[in-house]
Amino acid sequence: FLSSPAQGTLSSDVLANEDGVDGNLIAAYSMLDGYGNYGGWGTAASNWTFGSVSSDNAYKGSEPGDQQPIADVEFYNWGTSGVDTYVNDKWSSTYDGINRANATLELLASVDEVTGEDRASIEGEAKFLRAHYHFEAWKMWKNIPYYTEEAEDFRKPNTGNNPIQSILADLNDAIELLPTSQSEAGRVTQWTAKAYKGRVEAYTGDWESALSTLREVEQSGPYALRDNFHQVFSASGGNGSETILAYQASVNDGEPGGANGNYPDRLNFPHSGSPFGCCGFHQPSQNLVNAFKVDGGTGLPLPITDPNNWNSDDDNFAAGDMTPVDPRLDWTVGRDGVPFLDWGEHAPGWIRDRGYSGPYSAKKTVWEQGTDAGSSVGWSSFQLHFQNLHLYRYADALLLLAEAEVEVGSLENARTIVNRIRERAGQAAQGPGTSLDNIEVPIDDPAITWANYQVGTYDTPWTSASEAREAVRVERRLELAMEGHRYFDLRRWGIAQETLNNYLDVEETRREYLTGSDGYQERNNLYPIPSVQRELSEVDGESTLEQNPGW
Amino acid sequence: QDTSTISGTVTDQATGETLPGVNILVKGTAIGASTNLNGEYELDVPSLNDTLVVSYVGYTRSEIPINGRTSLDIELQPQAIEGDEVFVTGYTSQRQADITGAVSEVSVEDMNRTTSASFLDKMKGRIAGVNVESSGSPGSANTVRIRGVSSFQNNDPLYIIDGTPIQGDYNNFLNPNDIESMQVLKDASAASIYGSRANNGVVIITTKKGSAGAPEVSFDANWGVATPVSGYSDILMQDPFNYHEIIKRSHDNAGLSTPTNIYGDPENPSIPNYIWPNDGTNQTMDLQAQFGITEEDYEICNCDRLIMPASQGTDWWDELFDPALTQSYNLNISGGNEGAVYNLSFNYYDQEGTMRYNFYKKGTIRVNTEFEAGIFTFGENASFTVDQQSGGMQSGAMGEDTPIGQLIKMQPIIPVHDIGGYYAGAKANTLGNGSNPVAQVWKNRHDVTETNAFVGNAFATASIMENLEFKSNFGFNIGRNRFEGMALPTPENSEPNSVTSLNENFGVYTNWNWSNTLNYAKTFNQNHNLDVLAGTEANRENNRSIGASMAGYSSTSLNTRYIRDALGDPGTKAVNSFGGYSTLLSFFGKADYNYAEKYYLSATLRHDGSSRLGANNRWGTFPAFSVGWRVSEESFMDGLSGLSDLKIRFGYGVTGNQQIPTGRTVDEFGGAVGETFYDITGSNTGVEQGFRKTAIGNDDLKWEENVSYNLGIDSEFLDGRMSLVVDLYHREVDDLLFNPSIPATQGNAAPPFVNVGKMQNEGIDVSLGYRGTIGSELSWNVDINGSHYKNEIIRIDGQQDFFYGPAQGRGSQMVINQLGSPIGAFYGYKADGLFMNQDEVDAHADQDGAAPGRLRFADVNGDGQITPEDKKVIGSYHPDFTGGLNLGMQWKNFDFNTFLFASIGNDIFDITDEFTVFRLFNTNVRQDRLTKSAIVENGEVINPDAKYPRLDQNDQFSSEYSSFYVKDGSYLRMQNLEIGYNAPAGMIPGLSRVRFYVQAQNLFTITGYDNLDPAMPAQPVGDGVDASDQARGINQGTYPNNRIFGFGINASF
Repeated sequence: FLSSPAQGTLSSDVLANEDGVDGNLIAAYSMLDGYGNYGGWGTAASNWTFGSVSSDNAYKGSEPGDQQPIADVEFYNWGTSGVDTYVNDKWSSTYDGINRANATLELLASVDEVTGEDRASIEGEAKFLRAHYHFEAWKMWKNIPYYTEEAEDFRKPNTGNNPIQSILADLNDAIELLPTSQSEAGRVTQWTAKAYKGRVEAYTGDWESALSTLREVEQSGPYALRDNFHQVFSASGGNGSETILAYQASVNDGEPGGANGNYPDRLNFPHSGSPFGCCGFHQPSQNLVNAFKVDGGTGLPLPITDPNNWNSDDDNFAAGDMTPVDPRLDWTVGRDGVPFLDWGEHAPGWIRDRGYSGPYSAKKTVWEQGTDAGSSVGWSSFQLHFQNLHLYRYADALLLLAEAEVEVGSLENARTIVNRIRERAGQAAQGPGTSLDNIEVPIDDPAITWANYQVGTYDTPWTSASEAREAVRVERRLELAMEGHRYFDLRRWGIAQETLNNYLDVEETRREYLTGSDGYQERNNLYPIPSVQRELSEVDGESTLEQNPGW
Repeated sequence: QDTSTISGTVTDQATGETLPGVNILVKGTAIGASTNLNGEYELDVPSLNDTLVVSYVGYTRSEIPINGRTSLDIELQPQAIEGDEVFVTGYTSQRQADITGAVSEVSVEDMNRTTSASFLDKMKGRIAGVNVESSGSPGSANTVRIRGVSSFQNNDPLYIIDGTPIQGDYNNFLNPNDIESMQVLKDASAASIYGSRANNGVVIITTKKGSAGAPEVSFDANWGVATPVSGYSDILMQDPFNYHEIIKRSHDNAGLSTPTNIYGDPENPSIPNYIWPNDGTNQTMDLQAQFGITEEDYEICNCDRLIMPASQGTDWWDELFDPALTQSYNLNISGGNEGAVYNLSFNYYDQEGTMRYNFYKKGTIRVNTEFEAGIFTFGENASFTVDQQSGGMQSGAMGEDTPIGQLIKMQPIIPVHDIGGYYAGAKANTLGNGSNPVAQVWKNRHDVTETNAFVGNAFATASIMENLEFKSNFGFNIGRNRFEGMALPTPENSEPNSVTSLNENFGVYTNWNWSNTLNYAKTFNQNHNLDVLAGTEANRENNRSIGASMAGYSSTSLNTRYIRDALGDPGTKAVNSFGGYSTLLSFFGKADYNYAEKYYLSATLRHDGSSRLGANNRWGTFPAFSVGWRVSEESFMDGLSGLSDLKIRFGYGVTGNQQIPTGRTVDEFGGAVGETFYDITGSNTGVEQGFRKTAIGNDDLKWEENVSYNLGIDSEFLDGRMSLVVDLYHREVDDLLFNPSIPATQGNAAPPFVNVGKMQNEGIDVSLGYRGTIGSELSWNVDINGSHYKNEIIRIDGQQDFFYGPAQGRGSQMVINQLGSPIGAFYGYKADGLFMNQDEVDAHADQDGAAPGRLRFADVNGDGQITPEDKKVIGSYHPDFTGGLNLGMQWKNFDFNTFLFASIGNDIFDITDEFTVFRLFNTNVRQDRLTKSAIVENGEVINPDAKYPRLDQNDQFSSEYSSFYVKDGSYLRMQNLEIGYNAPAGMIPGLSRVRFYVQAQNLFTITGYDNLDPAMPAQPVGDGVDASDQARGINQGTYPNNRIFGFGINASF
C-alpha cells in the first residue's frame, strides 16, 4: 500500500541501452546553444553579452534600464549582483553541458550492447562536448574545475589544476575515437575535434602546435569557405562546408515556446517598428561601423590604410553615404535605408531608443523572410527561427591559422589566408531583397543604390610581423564581428585594456550613456566566479572556488 | 385549533437581571415573540405540549418543554466564554473543560460577519496564534499559519471537515454557512492524533446537522459594494509634465541629454496631440499635415499605425479598478424525526472583483443526514460545489506580469485607447515596456477556471456495549478543474506578442481516507473518568491532469476556443500530462483520564507510514501526553470568590510533516522537447529524443519531526463574565525537508530533498474575554486576543549554514534561510544612507558606482570593498505581535459588532521600488520622487534628509537589493463593523425571526506603509512544491483587500 513510484518519469534501468546512451548524448548536444532552462540571457552560447557587448563591437542596446546586468557588463562593473546572476547562468549552463556529457560516458560504461564504431563515436562525441564546454568556461574564468565522468565530489577546487591540459587530452581522445564523417549533420567528427584542438592551442598561445594542427585541418580536412559570406548566416544555408561546429536550431517541432530555435539570441532583433517587433539588443557600435570602411583605391580596411583617422566619423552611417565600405558591413549591421535581407529597408522606427544606443541593428542572426525559417509559436515569434548558430566556422579557424603563421614568421602564408577571406567577402553584397533570390547580388550590381562596396586584397608582401599581425587582427574583427569572439580575442592579444579604454574615450562622445562606465581595468581580464557557486562550494567554511583576481 | 397563552419573565441565571429582546419561538413553527423592556413575554401557543426555543445573543440557546404550564419564567445561562461546550478534537470529542491541549474555538457567528468566499479569510485575526492573510482578488487562496512557521515546505494546516482530511489552503468549496463549529488544535499534544500531518496545526470543522422536528427554514442574503482599501492614484505620478521632469533631471544629473521624441524641447516640454509609435523622432500635433491622414482615416487596428492621442495624465488605477458588487444567498432546511435527521443547504455566492473583468462565482449544495437503527447510526455529510473564477490575481499572484505589475510600469502620458478606439500601449520609444493593464484584463476576460469539488464522508457507528462504540468513517475529496485561456496579440506593446494561442488544462483528483475507531468511555467509582480510543486509518491521494496548447488561431471567438487542427496551426500543438500518487497508513490510540474533573492525564500515540518517504525511514511514531490540574476544584481555592475556574495545562507532543512532492526517493530521468531534445540531423523542424537526470532521489528521506511543549492556563472570573486563556509554547522541528541548491557542477537535475536542519518557534497566545451589562438594556462583550512568536533556524546541515529562498525579483537573491535568523529573512546590502559628498565616497570602502547622492552600502565584512559578501539579513516578514479585538453590544433589538486587527513589527520587502523609485525600464514612479530625491550641488547633497537617492540615469547601483527596499509593514485595520436589528417575532408574518443588518468591512487602516495594502497573502513559489513561506512579505504589486459596504437579511420561517 505504501509503495508509490514517481509518476511520469523514467528510471535509470530503462535507459541502460543504446537508445538511452544516445539520448543522453543528444541531451549533451542540446546544451550547445547554452539554453537549458536557465533564466537569463547570459547563457547564450553566442556570447553576445560576454564576448561582444563587453568589446568595442557592440552596445547593450534596447533602452536604459532594460536588462541592467548587461549594461553592467558593458560598463565593466562586473562586481554587481546583476552580473553575478548573469555569470551564474553562464556557469550553470556550461557545467550542465559538461554534466550531460559525463552522464553519457558514465551510462556508456555500464552498457555492453553498444560496441565497435558506435561505441567509439559516442565516447568521442561526449569527450569532445566535454572539452568544448570546459573551454567555454575557461574563456570566461580561466580558473575552473575540470569534471570527468568519474567525479563524485562536485566541490572541486578551481585552482591548482590545468584545465587546458585536460581539454586537450579529451580532444586527443576524441580525435582517436571519432570517425572522419558522420551521417547526421549535427554530430561532431574527427575533423571537428582537430579544428577545435587548433583553436584551443591558438587561444593559449601555443603557436607551434596550433600551426601544425590547423595546417593539417586546412590541407587535409573537409572544410572550405562558402562561396559567399552571407551563406553562413542564412537560414537556408543550414550546414555547409564552412561549418565546423554549429548549434542545430529547430522550430515548429512541437516545442510550445520555440526553445529549440535561436532562443538565447532572440532579443537581438530590431524593435517594434520592424517586422520582428522586439527587442533591439546587441546594437553594433559606431566604432565597428567605421571599421568596415575601406580605402577607395586599394579596397583595404581603413583601419589599416589610415590608422589615425579611420574612426573619426560620428554620424549615422545611413544609406546614400557612398563612402566605400566592405560589403560585410551590410551583412553584419542593419542601417537605415539599406535593405535588411528581404524584410524591407531598415528604418528609423526599427530602433528602440536611438538617442541612447545609436541607429544600428544586429543582422547576422536574423533569418530571411523567404526561407520560412520563423517559428509560429512563442512570445514574439518572429524573433525565433531555425538558422543554425555557428560556434566555430572555417573562416575562424583559418584566421587563427593566419595568426599562427604570423607568430612563427611565415607572413606570406598569413597574407594568403587573409586574402582568401577578403576575396570571398567580395563575392556578394546585400541586394534589393525584394525576394529571396535577390538578397545576394554581386557587389557592383546596379541595383545597389545605397552603398559603395569595395573589398581589395593585400597585394604586396607584408614586411613585418607587426604589420601582418595588425592586418590579421583587423580581418578577424571584420569577418567575425558580432559573433561573440571580440572580447576574448582582445584579451588573448593582450590589448584589451588599451583598446577598450581608447574605444570608450571616443565612443562616449557619440553615445553619451557610456560616460557612466568606469573603464576597463586589469581585473576585467577575467569574469568573476559567480558568488552563488562559491557559496555552494564551501567545504568547512571555505569555498573551494577561489575568486578571480580583483573581484 | 385552540390556542393557549403562555407568559413569563426571562432573566439572567447568574445575576437575576431581566433580559429584554429575547427571542422566544415555538419549536417547529413560525410562532414567536420577544420579551419587552422588563423581560416579560406573552405568547399564544398551539398546544401546551409544545417546546419553546429561547435564544438571546450572548446566552446559551435553550429548549424548554411547556409541559402544560401557562406561566413559565425562564432563566438563561450566559454563554460562558470558556464553557461546557463539546469540542471535536480528532476522531472523538471532548468537553472543553476537560481539554488539556491548546485548542481554540472559532466563533462561527462572528466569523460570518465577514463577506468572503472562504471561511479561512473569515477567520482572520479571530484566534490567538492563527495568522491569516488574503488578497482582495475574489476567491483567491489564503495563507493560514498556526503558531509560526515550521517547515521550508508547505505550512498549511491540516483541515478535517467532518472527518475528511484536506491538505491545502484553497478550501473555497466549503460553504461557510454550513459550518456548525470550528476548532483549532494548536499544539502537538492536541494534534498528534493526526500524527504525520499535524505539524502545522489542525483545523477541525463540523458541519451543521439536522435536529428532529418540523422543517426549519432559514434564509440569509447579503449584498455589498466593494472598493479597494487603497490605490495607486495618490502614490504614482499622474501628471505627464511631472514625469517629464523626472526624465529630465535623471538625464541632466547624469550629464546626458534628455530624449526629445515625446515631449520635445526639454526646457519647454509639451504634450503632443498624437504619439506616432514607430518613428521615435516624429511625434506630432497635426496628423493631417504631417502624415496626410485624419483620425477618421484610422479605422482598423493596423499594427504599423497605432496612433495614440497623448494623454494629459492617465490615472491607470482608476482605469483598472471599479466598485464591485458582492452578493450571497443561503438557504438552509433542517429537520427530521427521532432517528432520522437531515440538514440541506444551498448557497450561491457571486463576487465581482474591484479589478475590471474579475469575478468569482460559486454554488454549493450540501446534504447531511443521520439515521439511527438499534445500536447503529449511519449517516453522511456531502457537499458538491461548482465555482468559476476569471481575472484578478489568483492565489496571491504578484509580479511584473500581473495587471498591477503592468500598471506600475505605465507612464501617465500613455492613453488607454488609440484614436481608432483600440487599446493603446507603450509602443513608442522611451515609453517603457509595460503592457496596458486594461487591455490585458480585457483580453483575458473569457479565461475561466472552473473547479468542481465533491467532498464529504459516510459513516457508521455501532454501540457494541454500553461504553464501547465502534465507528467507521469513509471520507472522500474528489474533484476536477479546468482552465482555458487565450493569449491574444499585443500590437500595442513595446515588446509585442504576435501570436494567438490557447492553453487548456484539465485535471482530476481522487482522494479518500478510511478510518476505523473503537472508543471506550466509562466512569469508575464516580470519580475516575476514562476515555480510550484506538484506530487505524488509510489515506490515498491520486491526481492526474493534462495540459495542452496550440497557437496560430485565426478566430478568437468563444466557440473556437478548442484545440483542434483546423482552428489554428496544428504544428504548434503540444500536450503533456502529469500525475501524483501517494498513500499513508496509520495506527493510533488515545487515552484520557481524569480524576473528579480535577486531575487530568492524556496520552496519544500514532504510528504513520508514508509513501513519500524513503523505504528505510518510512514509518514514524508520534507520541504525546498532557496533564491538567483544575486548581479551582481544590478546596483551598474556595475562598477566592472572583475566580470561578482555573485550570493549568501542560502538554508535550511529537508530530510530523511529509509534504514534499511524491516519488522523490529515487533518481528520476526524463527530458523535454525544449530542453534535452536536439535536432541532431539538422532537419530544422524536428528534434531527436534526449534524456537527462531530472531529479536526484534520496532513499533516506525521513519525517520532519516537531517536538512541542505547551503550558497553558484557562481561567474564568466573576462568575464566568471574564475569561483569560494564556498559552506559552516552544516547538522545535527537526529533520526539516528541503531541496537546497547544489553546485551547478552537478548539473541541473532537481536537487535532492534532504533532511536539512532544524527550526524553532517560541511564542505566547493570550485571549481575554469579558461580558458585561450597562443598565438593564445594554449588554456588551469584548474579546481580545494577542499572540507573539519568534521563529529561528537553529541548525542547517551540510557545508553551509544557509541557503537562499526562491527569489522572485529582477535582481539577485533577496531571501535567505540562515542559521540564527527566521525562515524567509530578507537579504541584501545594508543601506547606510546617501553619500553626501566626494569625501564620504573616498572615505568609504570601495563601492561600484559610488557618488554623492547615491546609496551607500555598509562594508559588513570590513574588507574595504563592497561585494556580495557584504549582504546580510536586513529584515523579516514575521510580525512581533498580532492581535484582534472584537467588541459586541446589544441594545434592545439592535446589535452592534466591530472587529479590529493589528499586525506589528512585520517587514515588507518592496520590490516595486525597482520600478517606482529606480525607474528600471522607464516605468512610472512615485509622486514624491520629484520632491524628496537628493539634490547635489557642487558635489554636495544639499538636502541631507532626502528620502530617495538622486535622480540619475546612470545610477544603476543604488537599486541593488538592500535595506532601502525593506519597510515596516505594521498596520491596524478595522476589519468589520456591523449593526443589526432583530425584528420582534411576529412583526413580519410568516417569519419567525428576521434580522436586518448593515456592515462595513475594512473600513479604515492605520499604517506607516507607503504602498498598497500591507496585508498580503503568500504567493506560490517553488517548483512543484509550495515553498511560499520562504518568500513572504515581498511586495511585487499586490491586489489590495476590499472595503465593502453591505447589508443583509437573516430570516427564519
